[in-house]
Amino acid sequence: MFDYIIVGSGIIGSMIARELSRYDVSIMVFDKENDFASHQTTANSAIIHSGHDPKEHTLKARLCVEGNKLYEKLEQELDIPLLRTGAYVVAHGEEEEKLLQILYDRAQANGVHNIQMITPEELRQEEPRLISTITKALSLPSTKVTYPWEVAFAALENAVKNGASIRRNSHVITIEKDHNNFKMTLDDGTVWLTRHIINAAGVMSDRIASMIEDDVEFVIHPRRGEYLVLDHRAKDAFHHVIYPLPTAKGKGVLIVPQVHGNILLGPTSELVSDPEDASTTMEGIRYIKEQLRMLSDAIPYEWTIRAFAGVRATSSYDDFYIQESKTYPGFYHVAGIDSPGLTAAPAIAKYLVEEVINIRASKKASFDPYRQKRTLFHQLSEEDKYRLAKENPLYGNIICKCERITEQEIIDAIKGPLGNDTIKGIKKRARAGSGLCQGGYCEHQVLNIIARETKKPKSSINYDGQHTPILVKETKTHE
Amino acid sequence: MNNVDLAIIGGGAAGLAAALSAVDDALRIVLIEKDRQLGGILNQCIHHGFGLHQFKEELTGPEYADRFIQSLSKQGVSIMFETTVLDIQKKEDFELMISSPKHGYEHLHARAVILASGCYERTRGAAIIPGTRPKGIMPAGSAQRYLNMEGYLVGKRIFILGSGDIGLIMARRMTLEGAQVLGVAEIMPYSNGLTRNIVQCLHDFDIPLYLSHTVTHVKGKEVLEQITIQEVDQSMNPIAGTEKVFDVDTLLLSIGLIPDVALFDGLPMKKSPTTRSAYVDQHLMTNIDGLFVCGNALHVHDLVDWVSDEGKKAGQWAKRYLLSPSHAVKDLKPILLGHYVRYVVPHHIDMNDCTEPITLSFRITKKMTAAYIKVIQDDQVIAQRKSAYLAPAEMESMIIQPHQLISKNPIQLIVEDIV
Repeated sequence: MFDYIIVGSGIIGSMIARELSRYDVSIMVFDKENDFASHQTTANSAIIHSGHDPKEHTLKARLCVEGNKLYEKLEQELDIPLLRTGAYVVAHGEEEEKLLQILYDRAQANGVHNIQMITPEELRQEEPRLISTITKALSLPSTKVTYPWEVAFAALENAVKNGASIRRNSHVITIEKDHNNFKMTLDDGTVWLTRHIINAAGVMSDRIASMIEDDVEFVIHPRRGEYLVLDHRAKDAFHHVIYPLPTAKGKGVLIVPQVHGNILLGPTSELVSDPEDASTTMEGIRYIKEQLRMLSDAIPYEWTIRAFAGVRATSSYDDFYIQESKTYPGFYHVAGIDSPGLTAAPAIAKYLVEEVINIRASKKASFDPYRQKRTLFHQLSEEDKYRLAKENPLYGNIICKCERITEQEIIDAIKGPLGNDTIKGIKKRARAGSGLCQGGYCEHQVLNIIARETKKPKSSINYDGQHTPILVKETKTHE
Repeated sequence: MNNVDLAIIGGGAAGLAAALSAVDDALRIVLIEKDRQLGGILNQCIHHGFGLHQFKEELTGPEYADRFIQSLSKQGVSIMFETTVLDIQKKEDFELMISSPKHGYEHLHARAVILASGCYERTRGAAIIPGTRPKGIMPAGSAQRYLNMEGYLVGKRIFILGSGDIGLIMARRMTLEGAQVLGVAEIMPYSNGLTRNIVQCLHDFDIPLYLSHTVTHVKGKEVLEQITIQEVDQSMNPIAGTEKVFDVDTLLLSIGLIPDVALFDGLPMKKSPTTRSAYVDQHLMTNIDGLFVCGNALHVHDLVDWVSDEGKKAGQWAKRYLLSPSHAVKDLKPILLGHYVRYVVPHHIDMNDCTEPITLSFRITKKMTAAYIKVIQDDQVIAQRKSAYLAPAEMESMIIQPHQLISKNPIQLIVEDIV
């Protein structure tokens, strides 16, 4: 029996788990995948928005602005990367300048500070690659960029440190009311009892809700966003997040510098029927390039290393849907969390726990908000690199030469508190294979290290899911 | 050893040849290899066909590498194994940031550097193949490594995108190991591999080659289930109605090789957009004094024999640079490209230092059954030869003798199609 079972370990589920772990309650987090934070959290723009875009007096506006501020604290507590880029929303000509003024007023009303209208000359001083047809820009200095799944992992790791339990490959099949509790059955046949359920299942949140509710007040309309990634060699091309003016479909196609030096271009915004259809399309990539011509004619596409897509959990409800079930008290929905969900995540967790659940359990004196700092070898000073590699030869062994990841960092990713034993899991944690060659050089080495560290046969090492082995048949077996 | 005269980066075909030819009692040379053994990619190329030009016999990759490794073992070249060069900076001399499990993180100083770091395989991301991103899509060279070095097949029903040589070799290799190879698609109207590989790896095994076709869709959530190929028009756009669907568990990519010159990042290097590597003169020296590049790190070769030749030259020129440098002021003149010439290496010639034959290595843009290759200077043909067959997939060369140059003006390389 748990006090709280959270369904979904994306940025929302993870932040809620951490927030709840401040209190004297028992917590379990389920994720149906073979790794945590595998869907929307791994495929988004990575922006901590300032809060200029959501309509005034909405939950989105309030929690976005609050979340933006909370990230400053999370950076210290959870050792997550933050790149303080600032952002520009750009306008072309008088009509667009009027819309820009509306955004300026909205940002003011939402409580976004230090915003400013700047001239095209001032803009090009900062971003010389932007196109000369831009006539005005809104500067949003509080906009930042992070590494989203790292944030989810960090929050989850910290929740575990403070007593929460987590479980992968846990696909919820049924939910029933059982006296004062809920009974959940998973696809592996296990049955779980809990006093409260938090539905943080992202694109699947309406399905989770309808397992027990007759009238679900929201429907997820999955919206796919495709992106292109440029290698970190394109780093100096842009230094700020660049937004066009928003449209009915979303914030438009953006230019987003990333924390590891990459540049992200996208997203598209297209309704899809399958909530997990994260395919990229030729039309999507063409659309991104077409739209970006309005921002710049000097994007270094020659450094493109990857295209990917994510599906946003946009809902029929015109705001974040963070409410307790009307029929089943103790069942909380945190649904329709599309943009600015990443930004708002820490504020959503706080809002849910303090204002919606209105938790009465006492706070734990033992709560430790800090996550243990990780060693990122290539970011150390020359002196520290010299010392550390002398002390531990595994730091001297470079595995991913594109991103300069050492063997010790791979081992940390396998054996760490939130360890994982798949190629993609290690890529998400240690970044091995994220560079120019996309794993061509190092994938076999990572595979061998996983096999060695987990004492599993090489042929059982998966790419990602539970049944995705890289090596499918041994050719020369010993008879 | 933190100070050397010459650091050679990469112990594959190019680096081995460079080390052998640079050897001299007066020079301290170090060969830096990131793996536990020398030979580079040759070690995973267990098929034969290497060494026809170097040794007049057909060797496997490991045998070919071993010839050079044996020769080198008799020389006083230090070899650093399991050592990765992370960065190169040019100060008074070259400063290399290197890392290894044995010695940890160190700085190494060298008066000259030969970069022989080979190339890497172009990825799905660079080509942007639409669809999902399941397990089962990988560069052909990675599959080759898993098969030949680890002893595992990566799939049972295979399709190959791109007709690069590694893809063709893998079509045969995987077929022999019991996998079913359903076809090879090539976006260009001609094959990008050597003719002998098309014959011996595809025709001999009845594997279809779809020219002017590309993969336009990938399906499968966790594991690859299906791919769609389509014919493309002259501007490479897929033609509706030409879709062919294949149920496969593996898509191998053999869509190009790119010189691995990540180590140029810390240097003020001038790079060619065509070869994606440095501009060099006839001594294989870059615009940075004392830095030489050779082998697939300079431009992608189709035969290892030519890689070894180029490595050997780089070693000789680096040795001369260290022992008896030319003090003449450089007079660099570009080599101009005529029609159908995609690129030429070297990119320019130091006209004040032309004492040795100059080898022009180049690729053309269209297939020709008969052509003249001409070198022109001051509107005169100073060298020419006739070729019975030219193809984009096959590297060509042309040698100019120093006495053939009639002035210090730029030369032009032209190819004339004999129709």
